Amino acid sequence: MPEPSPEPRLISEDYDCGGNTVEKKLALQMRGITKRFGSVLANDHVDLEVYQGEILAILGENGCGKTTLMNMIAGIYFPDEGQILIDGKEVVIRSPKDAFDHKIGMVHQHFKLVDLFTAAENVVLGTKSDGKYNLRAVNAEVNQIADRYGFRLDPAKKIYDMSVSEKQTVEIIKVLYRGADILILDEPTAVLTPQEITRLFDVLRRMRTDGKSIIIITHKLNEVMEVSDRVAILRRGQHIATVKTAETNESDLTTMMVGRRIDLNIHRSKPVNAVPRLIVEKLNLYNEEGIHVLKDITFTANGGEILGIAGIAGSGQRELLESISGLQPVASGKITFNNPKKDRPVSFFHKSMKQVRALADQGAFHDRNMNDVNFRGMRSKAVRKMVKDGDVLFREDEVMNLRDKDPLEIRRLGIHLSFVPEDRLGMGLVGSMNITDNMMLRSYRKGPAGFLNRKKPKAQAEQIIRELEIVTPGVGTPVRRLSGGNVQKVLVGREIAYMPKVLMAAYPVRGLDIGSSYTIYNLLNRQKENGVAVIYVGEDLDVLLELCDRIMVMNGGAVTGIVDARTTTKEEIGLLMVKTDERKEAGDA
Amino acid sequence: MSKANENGVREPLIHLSKRDSIHPGKAWAIRLIAVALGLVVCGLVAFLLIERLQQKPERIGDFYYAFIKGAFGTSRKFWKFLKNVSILLCISLALTPAFRMRFWNIGGEGQTLIGVLACIGVDFYWGDKLPEPLLLVLMFLAALTAGALWGTIPAICKAKWGTNETLFTLMMNYVATFLVSFFLMIWVTSGSGVLPQMKTGKLPTLGGNNYLLIILIVLALTIAMYVYLKYSKHGYEISVVGESVRTAQYVGINEKKVIIRTMILSGALCGLAGYLIGAGLDLSVSADSVGGQGFTAIMVSWLGKFNPLAMILTSGLIQVLNQGAAQISQDFDVPGALPNVIVGIILFFIIGSEFFINYQVHFRKAKETVK
Amino acid sequence: MKKILAMVLVLVMVLSLTAVTAAADGIAKENIKLGVILLHDENSTYDLNFMNGAREAIAALGMDESQLQFYRNQPESSACAETALDAVDEGCNIVFFDSYGHQFYTDDVVAAHPEVQFVHATGDLAHVKSFANLANAFATIYEGRYLAGVAAGMKLNEMKAAGKLKGDVPMIGYVGAYTYAEVVSGYTSFYLGAKSVCPDVIMKVQFTGSWYHEKWEKEAAEALIAAGADLISQHADSMGAPTACENAGVPNVCYNISTKDACPDTYLVYSRINWEPYFEYLIGQVIAGEPVDKDWVGNMPTNSVIVTDLNEAVAAEGTQAAIDAAKAELIDGTRKVFDLEADNYITVGGEKVTTYMFEKDTDFQKEAVYDGYFHESEKGFRSAPYFDLQIDGIELLNTYFEAREE
Repeated sequence: MPEPSPEPRLISEDYDCGGNTVEKKLALQMRGITKRFGSVLANDHVDLEVYQGEILAILGENGCGKTTLMNMIAGIYFPDEGQILIDGKEVVIRSPKDAFDHKIGMVHQHFKLVDLFTAAENVVLGTKSDGKYNLRAVNAEVNQIADRYGFRLDPAKKIYDMSVSEKQTVEIIKVLYRGADILILDEPTAVLTPQEITRLFDVLRRMRTDGKSIIIITHKLNEVMEVSDRVAILRRGQHIATVKTAETNESDLTTMMVGRRIDLNIHRSKPVNAVPRLIVEKLNLYNEEGIHVLKDITFTANGGEILGIAGIAGSGQRELLESISGLQPVASGKITFNNPKKDRPVSFFHKSMKQVRALADQGAFHDRNMNDVNFRGMRSKAVRKMVKDGDVLFREDEVMNLRDKDPLEIRRLGIHLSFVPEDRLGMGLVGSMNITDNMMLRSYRKGPAGFLNRKKPKAQAEQIIRELEIVTPGVGTPVRRLSGGNVQKVLVGREIAYMPKVLMAAYPVRGLDIGSSYTIYNLLNRQKENGVAVIYVGEDLDVLLELCDRIMVMNGGAVTGIVDARTTTKEEIGLLMVKTDERKEAGDA
Repeated sequence: MSKANENGVREPLIHLSKRDSIHPGKAWAIRLIAVALGLVVCGLVAFLLIERLQQKPERIGDFYYAFIKGAFGTSRKFWKFLKNVSILLCISLALTPAFRMRFWNIGGEGQTLIGVLACIGVDFYWGDKLPEPLLLVLMFLAALTAGALWGTIPAICKAKWGTNETLFTLMMNYVATFLVSFFLMIWVTSGSGVLPQMKTGKLPTLGGNNYLLIILIVLALTIAMYVYLKYSKHGYEISVVGESVRTAQYVGINEKKVIIRTMILSGALCGLAGYLIGAGLDLSVSADSVGGQGFTAIMVSWLGKFNPLAMILTSGLIQVLNQGAAQISQDFDVPGALPNVIVGIILFFIIGSEFFINYQVHFRKAKETVK
Repeated sequence: MKKILAMVLVLVMVLSLTAVTAAADGIAKENIKLGVILLHDENSTYDLNFMNGAREAIAALGMDESQLQFYRNQPESSACAETALDAVDEGCNIVFFDSYGHQFYTDDVVAAHPEVQFVHATGDLAHVKSFANLANAFATIYEGRYLAGVAAGMKLNEMKAAGKLKGDVPMIGYVGAYTYAEVVSGYTSFYLGAKSVCPDVIMKVQFTGSWYHEKWEKEAAEALIAAGADLISQHADSMGAPTACENAGVPNVCYNISTKDACPDTYLVYSRINWEPYFEYLIGQVIAGEPVDKDWVGNMPTNSVIVTDLNEAVAAEGTQAAIDAAKAELIDGTRKVFDLEADNYITVGGEKVTTYMFEKDTDFQKEAVYDGYFHESEKGFRSAPYFDLQIDGIELLNTYFEAREE
């Protein structure tokens, strides 16, 4: 145990907060903190100071070492090198318990709560060793903490009944209850609606006034500007600078964060020739537990347009995309794919010879003189030539039912439906396989029977690596070894290489650095310009507003509104995200 | 940096970190060190347990030499070694596609045994009625079909009702053993429970060597399995299903079909091993025909990281240890269990070394001066 | 090392000089090497009995322990033939297999090495096959079982007199391995021994389907005790049945080992084959260059059949005297175990047995019933038992044993 040092060092500093100069005491200091994971240098001699009564934002791209650095303060990791000083004394933090002893508490991105317990029970869990709790006293204390900082929480409510924001509140109160003076919040806003974010920031400001030190890990610039007093910027494990928020701006922060100046504008073009592509009507889905997860979903996705889907995580976004792509058996409703082909030439691009012949037999084609086309008795070579010459045209738009078809059947219909799932390594890609093998996930069936042909996928992999600037030792590297952004580029790259008519992407920029995010936005935009119907499920409302043409908002498995992205506001979407249709709820029950 | 500073603050004595990657040379060095350490510990254990070694400590050299002598001491032992490796490798190869699919088929013993039973059954009933080539073909088909059946039943139940394949395949081992006992009761009229060797249905010898054909068949199978897993569409689907069923569904792979198809293959190849045992070696069947190799094969496959070429090495290693154990038992006149303890120790070290290949151990460094 | 090398050299010289007539000329005692191929190891009483016999014979002949080599855990498969070849490579000029099933795999080995003497203990094929260097060996253990049966019968009489029987008539329970002639011959002679002193005894037999399975043997014994057995014996190699008897307080007659220490309150007597005389005979013949008997049968005069270690605390009064008397009569031939003329002794379906064809439907078929008794394990037949009649008074509870996992 550290000996009490003679006197806590008092560090004075000119500090600009609300126009006043105040003196602040140093709460925590990190000196030369270094952490390696194998050959990866996660933190490289980081120096950092945190004062009492301030909100310090730790800003940096994903993978820059923010969370690792904070985990070392919270006792999750142990630094390879460096010192941590609290109140001027060196301390060793070996476990979360050590951290609590030094009045440090961390709220992790993934909550660590017992679902079956109440808020108060979770708060008190693990604080005493004799196993007896006075829950009434705890409830009172929880209420007191909540009142003091302006939380809204019922201590007797069970966790499984709580919204994400309430769970976060429990986590924060848990840390406060244990007497933390230094609070670390890891990406606290990622799961919140705009209104909830505003409320959280109010709480944080109250805590600051109360003398607490708050460290908030984030990569969202507007939030940094809104709430923090100072910003520490990390890049590739190194501490770049700590600046006062009032003395900086978003552009400078980005430059420090990324290391170069980048354009933060999304160039949204006007939809051209927006035609209905994917029509979903009154779609209902029950999950394996029999819970009604999609309720009468109706919408149309147009080609040449980006349709955004907003909503709190778990509002049915994933289930909706999976239903459309044939991964979930729906209970009722229609999913139709509309191919606007009337009077346009047939091609072999999306159809096999067999399919073309079958359609011709049904009288689906006409020639340039509007006469029926019939291939009966014709050699395939002749058919191919006729089609290539553009002499075979569709009589009508193609309308195809997608419901109750598995992904392979959809593919065999000739419908190119791309889907970038939220779970990249668990669904979209195979982590242990290399980029080439991941490229052929959708196309490996092509070619002669029996054996794989890796030639084309390899060329494709090389092309994607080149075009999307994927950082990898080579096409033979397992994708699991790549960074999050590069993994996502491989996935999106593959799905786009599939030449989709409909492209659905769930949280495609989650965990990505700014550069990669903008690469993805631009890719989606280019697809839209090519006439693809893009469906984009996002969590960052600013991006949704800038990127999409229309935004559909979901809550509790139902659509609560479809708005024009050019005219709506964050607040309007925020309200739709929590809106419930009472009449419908009653009808369901 | 300060490690044990003036305040008496100490960092933990040992902490572990996962290695990102390791140079193959270093990995092999770790493995070799592990084997060396294992051998040293074995020597100590041997001194404790083997009476003849206590009497004549100078025979410790013979003790270690037994591991070489057992497998390579004479050309006969070497051929026996190659044959034993082949049979073990054959079963391991059979299990590997299932393992790569994360289908934990621990029923290799039963699938192989039922293969032996089926091929000997054909021999028993039709051995004197059919021409030898036709008989051998029928025996071959019977063995493969029976093995495939034994592998497929748990696969179908898993695909249809989500049963646990580990328990199911394990239970099927017992059923196979019961069936062997049952048929021995019917076939062996003397009631001794021992079926005399068949006079017909013997695999031909190549170049006067009883084992060469078996060895060549398994060698060809090894290469074929390597190609199948790495270059075929089936092999690719197996890898996808193994990594993530959701990914498989996402790209339209029918994972149930893949599970069943792969287990047909896995079971059929176990049946092939049964055929090699039945028609190539024993020409008879007993509950002990496979002798636990169906379980050893699991270890071979794991140690070889499901790579057929690496499994040549791992099956060789296991067989060197087995024959070495028998040699120790023989040379030092000790019960068979004792050398198996020694084999266990060596395997413990080898498997344990994988931990040090995957993780790096950091010890608290000696005190350095603070800057 | 040098010594072994010298030995091998001498052996090679001897063999090369006397290639064909090696057997006729014999082999010097110090050049003899006996390889014993064992189904299991010393953990099985069956194998331990052979190991002890071989060790004692080597010691009795004044040979070095390096002249005896055990090959443990050799399954009844082609593997045992490979091991036999290894044994030949390592200089063994006598290779002895201890388990019945080994004999089916060794033809090629026996044919390829005429200079080596091969023996299959308990085997029944040496007389069928035309190999000069292959022999079988067994002993008249049925006589030992008979004498043990006398002790059992005496005990049952005592229990009857004391009113301690569970049923109206004394009942023996017998735990058997398989419905194999060796087992049938064994339990029948045991039953007949008991019947010779206790005429109204009956017997029930429960088979396990395994030569060695402690749990099943214990369960079988418990089932028999529950079915009313007043006394238990077994033809199985584990401690299963003795343990069940000790737990239930039921007298037990053992085979192969004495359980006097483990089961002091119930152990009665045990019989076993002593293999030492045979090993001594075998080695002696090879040294002398004399042919080894193709079907050697040890008996009480050769000291191959042993009934001993009577537990006076359990046995009825006068048991030892009764055993000794019966033994004397068996030795001098006045008493036959399988006497077919005696009244109220052996009947099948109520009828006396007048004929039995040994190995019928083969070239070796031969009438085994003459002179008023069944000729079991006798000269001119074979050493391994072949008496497999189901006689009256013995009930088989499970003719087809339940197949179970080993």
